Amino acid sequence: MPLPLSAGVPIGVTGTGIVSPLGNTLATFDAALFAGRSAVRAQPLDLPGIELPPVPVAPAEFDAATEVAPSRVPLDRATAMALAAARSAASVAGLAPGSFDRDRLGVFWGSGMAGAATFEATCRAVYADRRRMRPTSVVTTMPNAPLAEIALLFGARGAALGYACACASSAVAIGEAMRAIRAGWIDVAIAGGSESMLTPGVLASWQAMRVLAPIGPTAGDAAMVAASCRPFAADRAGFALGEAAAAFVLESAEHAQARGATPQFALTGYATNCDGIHITNPDPAGQARAMRAALVDAGLQAGDVGYLNAHGTATLPGDAAEAESIATVFGARGVPVSSTKAIHGHLLGAGGAVELLAATRALAAGQLPPTAHTTAIDPSFAIDLVIGAARAARRLRHAMSSSFAFGGTNAVLIATTPEGSIA
Amino acid sequence: MSSSTFATLSAVLVEQFHVDAGTVRPEATLDQLGLDSLALMEFVFAVEDRFEVRIPEDRLDPRQAGVTLAHLAQLLDEAVAARPPRNAAAA
Repeated sequence: MPLPLSAGVPIGVTGTGIVSPLGNTLATFDAALFAGRSAVRAQPLDLPGIELPPVPVAPAEFDAATEVAPSRVPLDRATAMALAAARSAASVAGLAPGSFDRDRLGVFWGSGMAGAATFEATCRAVYADRRRMRPTSVVTTMPNAPLAEIALLFGARGAALGYACACASSAVAIGEAMRAIRAGWIDVAIAGGSESMLTPGVLASWQAMRVLAPIGPTAGDAAMVAASCRPFAADRAGFALGEAAAAFVLESAEHAQARGATPQFALTGYATNCDGIHITNPDPAGQARAMRAALVDAGLQAGDVGYLNAHGTATLPGDAAEAESIATVFGARGVPVSSTKAIHGHLLGAGGAVELLAATRALAAGQLPPTAHTTAIDPSFAIDLVIGAARAARRLRHAMSSSFAFGGTNAVLIATTPEGSIA
Repeated sequence: MSSSTFATLSAVLVEQFHVDAGTVRPEATLDQLGLDSLALMEFVFAVEDRFEVRIPEDRLDPRQAGVTLAHLAQLLDEAVAARPPRNAAAA
């Protein structure tokens, strides 16, 4: 089995930033996360000439018009969210433009369908409204627009790389930033991901895959819609799509120390691999290999991990495969698990980053967020699912976040408290 | 140049392109606005759409040095004046 031979050094995280359905500050994010408060609501599909039932979505409260593009070109909503999250993370980290060596700063960013919302709007303008293409259509919709704007904002010269591997995109971006710092290519990175594509055409495409929780008959009942995503439940029926951006400032221990920055936590483990068997069906064996490789990278045993923020999409086959891989790696009911997608929706390219943030908030709070809305776990799953209310976990040191994507890409990250990362 | 045309130009620059209101004066040249050539093209598109006109390309190259906002407003006024009545196309 291809595993890394030994553990890599921990990488410090000195700042985080968030724009999400659970709010745009850590305080609002935490409040919703630990209370299991859902941001999911019904959205009608405005597609002329096509009758479709509404879909469940988890929008972020965010005014994209307030965000100024460093390039001054119009921003896709996801890019605006990315900029806001990156600014916030850098501000927390004290990473002001001019205060670091630009050649040693890299931007690593994930998105599944960056620019999708603007691209759809552009197509509508051209085909339906007979309006012209704009001079900036290309640079607004190009998949690397978010990371390019972030790189411009901070004058990054070390790297500006985008990762598009569906639901694993931002987990991969963060992990690859860890690797670039460990390898000595750069000292500090702004890493994360963004996604905003709650537009009729994109939503209808996901609905057509039959992976969205069906809310048609109960769309008028806000409480039913809010609880429509039930990960690992016996009666699970799919997910809601959400929009978000999350950013992290990663840096080597030496770099953080030299500028007097204190890591809030460390990234200790990362692994990515591919199932290589099917475009959508997950492979428990591939997932298990990825989780084990991340443990080796972190220098940990399965029993050291005190919380797993699962991918947990609430689809029938997805949760079944994941419950199997979790039990394979950790043993039956061997680690407390929750899926927070129940409340913030499936954030696609931003999912890995937001769920890593959720895992680190568990580390900070010493409690584990519940899997909202799931009351009866699928009886065939041998996992310790946190349901009902948040669970106290005072000695929590290491938390894992896993992302298993369409296309077969698996990515697993492990975060560790400052005390826990002192080897 | 009509003052309402200039006011609309100002609003687009400040609201959509985040240009500092203090620099938006009739005698300001386009290259003084802090926008690169791409953003300038986007700005011209935006105001053309706002006024529902097209300024012929041979009348304006926004990348050319010395083009002032007053001149752009003048071109817009001319284009609006030359615009066929709204119901002409339907007739």
